[in-house]
Amino acid sequence: MWSGPRSRALLVMVVLALAIVSVVVLVANSIYAVPSPTSSIRIGPLGEVSYYASQPMPNVPPGILIRVFLVNGSVVEPVTAFIDVYASAPNGIVHVAMGYSPTLVVPFNDSNWQYVLNKWASLGIPFSEYNTSMLVFVTYVKGNESWILPLLVPYNVGWAYAALGRATPLTATLGATTPRYIVVNAFINVNELRPNEVVPAKLNGTVTDPQIFGTYYNYTIYNCSLSGPKPPQYPSAPTSLYMFKPTSACVGINGSLPITWVTWGRDVLQSKGDSGLVIDLSIYFSGTMNWDAMATSYGDIGTSYSASENWGPDSSNFILGSQVTQPGSLYWYYKGATWGIVRYSVYECGNINYLVKYGYCPYYNVYVGTTLVSEVLYVPPNDYYVATFDYGNGPVSMLYIGAIPASKQYFGYPVLNASSVVDYAAFSNGNIYQCNGPVGNTSKVIGGVQYTLYKVTLGGVEQAYGLSAAELGTALVEIVLGIGSIVAAYGAPVWLNLLLSAGSLSATIAGLLVPPSTSTSVTSTSLGIGGVTTSTSLYISVIDASKTYGLPTFGFILNATNYYGNPTTYTCKYGKVTRIG
Amino acid sequence: MNVKSLFWFFVGFVFVNFAFSLWSLLSSVLTVMPIPLPYWLLYTPGNIVAAGAIVMALMLALYAYLGVSLVINGLRRGFIPMVMAFTFAIGMALLLARQAIPALVILVIAYVMLIGTYIVIISTATSRASKALWEAAAMVLALIPPMLMIGGLIVIDYVRYMAITEQATTIIASAIEAWKLGVG
Repeated sequence: MWSGPRSRALLVMVVLALAIVSVVVLVANSIYAVPSPTSSIRIGPLGEVSYYASQPMPNVPPGILIRVFLVNGSVVEPVTAFIDVYASAPNGIVHVAMGYSPTLVVPFNDSNWQYVLNKWASLGIPFSEYNTSMLVFVTYVKGNESWILPLLVPYNVGWAYAALGRATPLTATLGATTPRYIVVNAFINVNELRPNEVVPAKLNGTVTDPQIFGTYYNYTIYNCSLSGPKPPQYPSAPTSLYMFKPTSACVGINGSLPITWVTWGRDVLQSKGDSGLVIDLSIYFSGTMNWDAMATSYGDIGTSYSASENWGPDSSNFILGSQVTQPGSLYWYYKGATWGIVRYSVYECGNINYLVKYGYCPYYNVYVGTTLVSEVLYVPPNDYYVATFDYGNGPVSMLYIGAIPASKQYFGYPVLNASSVVDYAAFSNGNIYQCNGPVGNTSKVIGGVQYTLYKVTLGGVEQAYGLSAAELGTALVEIVLGIGSIVAAYGAPVWLNLLLSAGSLSATIAGLLVPPSTSTSVTSTSLGIGGVTTSTSLYISVIDASKTYGLPTFGFILNATNYYGNPTTYTCKYGKVTRIG
Repeated sequence: MNVKSLFWFFVGFVFVNFAFSLWSLLSSVLTVMPIPLPYWLLYTPGNIVAAGAIVMALMLALYAYLGVSLVINGLRRGFIPMVMAFTFAIGMALLLARQAIPALVILVIAYVMLIGTYIVIISTATSRASKALWEAAAMVLALIPPMLMIGGLIVIDYVRYMAITEQATTIIASAIEAWKLGVG
């Protein structure tokens, strides 16, 4: 075959080409241009973890890759399985990702993983001084048997920072061959591992994810004993008489926190004099907010979350009748806040004399009982706010149709009742009735047109209505119950039962008010009404929902003929009448 | 001397090295990609060792072939690669049988004979370039053990680069020699 001189020359060319390619690959491997293992760990017969240093591979994000293999005798083949990944955080374990496939990728920039990585980074310890780990559970199910494989995958937080190209002083001491890819091979050895019997769960016809209870009105209700963010233990240092430890009865809520809104009814849209009015909603808040965890019967048990908040100045506006033709609300809201209602076990200090003498408790061993705690688990810092419309399916509607009736049902009194609605001001018969506060007057160009804006400014919570800090307490629990009351029509959900079984709520609601202590530098929320004429008929009520949301939260309600709730009489503390124009 | 038989030795040398390079390149890139793969294709240390063992077996067979064809052509120095391949095989077998000390002794002898084999190849090389490259490779090969003995694990990175240089040199030298014998 290779006897002819021509074919032999061809073979020689091929050999030369192959030699050059081989040398190039050799060099690429040695300088970590392609993935090259830096270390490897064998986890008994269950699996192995290999760490690869590499230049970035196209379309392969740096992170962890889990592969599942079925080992049966001498056969090793990829197999589809449930893969569940958790990350260890400084204060607990956070669920990161899950999937049902032969491979699962979790990139370093996965938002759940980022949450954990940032928690570690916030400790301020150089990354080279410690490793942390991911927990991987692989469940392979065949017939009525299942094999569960737990794997612990050590990694360094600094690798993620290096792979994402983020420089912090904490990464300074990392070595040159930093792993970029972590590959985990999990072996389901059906000959060696004992299977578990699969017992089908009966869920009354409705299948429930043990981690996510459901999504209602864009609020995700999750089991915070299984997924993060998770509630911490209180207090952080053993300096008090009681220690509070979270139990598995934990309902977490993730969703938006309305900051302020304006709601208009059908009557406003039908009122001729109100057509063409410009409605302008502005927010401006800057300061630090601390949310304290509140326990029934124990009160404030420590700060659950603290964040520096910064809203605006920013405004959003629309024209009644032309840009907006159906009843609804325009609202500013906070994206991605998380809070929880959690049952805690309470332990008393075992050596009170020591606590009194030295200021800290050596051990808590006296079980006292349980208590329900309302706490904020996570609020994104700064600037994560948006304005949008709600036509019956958003958090503002949820507040009206859910939280208000629910609070009445569960607590015996409505949280948002006549006392939380202020009859503020009205435009009627060519007059401005400044009932319970001043109405300002400013000029603003909106959509190229110069308007005279009549402005209702909430210049700080205390000043506006003389509300005390205590009244600014929050009962985040009401949002849950608000949602609960809406979905209860379809049968009470598991999590609602979980909450209600936690104790008699109505007797203890006062203890669940979380007063956010704010240190604000600016706070002014305002509603502007432009294009007002003598035929305008508009009643402005202000609703104080601070208790419900745990923020200084105010909503404006617009009606054409009377204040919100059609009061027959109302008192006007400010009481001032002026002509329009 | 039968030029044709040595030609096949050099062609085989390049092919075996290329096959290993190709496997390591493909598997290293595919391993980090989220696609299901057969286990043997993964770039895990276990698989790298297994692939290395296969490559070594093939290389020993090639050296044995080199020795046999030299001896058949009346060159008695052909016994050096033959004995080298044989001692290496014995050494590996002893290692697998967990006879560490005798294995070490045999492998040291085999290593010295590997350098000898390089010298044999240098003596039969027909082109000046390949001769020079084999000489360089033999020198690097001879330098690695004393370096490791003196420097220990501190110099392991340098030894890694030296081994890669040695490998690259022999591949290129083989390709040149194959070209010289096949065309020139």
